[in-house]
Amino acid sequence: MTQAPNTVALDEAMEEMVRALHATVNRALPHVTDDPELVDQALRDCTEILDVVLEGNVSEWLGSAPAGA
Amino acid sequence: METPFKEKLEAADVPKMPAEYQDLLKRVLAIQADCEIGGPHLYVKTILPAAPTKVDQLIVARTAAEEADHYRKVARLAGDIGLDVSGILSRPNRERYVNAFRGEITSWEEFAVFGFLIDRVGRYQLEEFIGCSFAPLDRILPDVITEELGHIDYGQNKTAEFAFKGGSSKERIQKIIDLWYPKALDMFGNTGSRRSERYRQWGLKRRTNAQARAEYIQEVNPLIEAMGLTVPDPNVGREFV
Repeated sequence: MTQAPNTVALDEAMEEMVRALHATVNRALPHVTDDPELVDQALRDCTEILDVVLEGNVSEWLGSAPAGA
Repeated sequence: METPFKEKLEAADVPKMPAEYQDLLKRVLAIQADCEIGGPHLYVKTILPAAPTKVDQLIVARTAAEEADHYRKVARLAGDIGLDVSGILSRPNRERYVNAFRGEITSWEEFAVFGFLIDRVGRYQLEEFIGCSFAPLDRILPDVITEELGHIDYGQNKTAEFAFKGGSSKERIQKIIDLWYPKALDMFGNTGSRRSERYRQWGLKRRTNAQARAEYIQEVNPLIEAMGLTVPDPNVGREFV
């Protein structure tokens, strides 16, 4: 049985997005009371990243190579 | 009854296994991936911008990040045995495998109950795989279960806060419990499922659907009662019994 196409690339792309989300949340949490602008920007960034994750446009993540190619 | 399968397999061993084992393993990984990413699809659009405080909004984002990471880990295992589950990422909610993931969460109270009841079922489903015959799945469990416990605690604490406020707040949270409790029980599947027995036979799950559901009821009912809420009738609103 062979590995499904793009398994590693997809794993790496998602891991990068998850890391970015965690870093954004962790950067904002200590500043909820003293830096509302930073927190608002973090929330916008999280929303943007999560939109990309949930849209699931894998071929775009992997640089135009269609999943399964 | 056949002797239950006791071996531990790696991805490279799977092609040597009978078709039934391969089919069941692929099925369970696809369902798990669907459930992991199904949660964020229910609440990110509606609840991330609407959570009551900035801290709550950030916690919603972190919860979604953890669920996306659980999806990633399961998708990697599926990919390693030749199953591409990338299409599950963008599957419309109405096509989700489990009924509980087919709608949308529209209120903060509902998000709390989802964590309290549905993420708890998620923990039960993950616990099924502890010590399972597919070793790579067993290995990802400790981190994934730890994160699920965080989601459950958060949901439980928020649900309790609403209940303890009393009045209309308590009434609202009771209605949401009434809505999600039968969905939670349904998530364990049919009591007499033959497939459930085959999963156990192949060492992919530990308990029958009925056993897991009974243990869940035993755990969650006292928690609902301790909040001063009423445990819904377990036979009302059910799809699978």
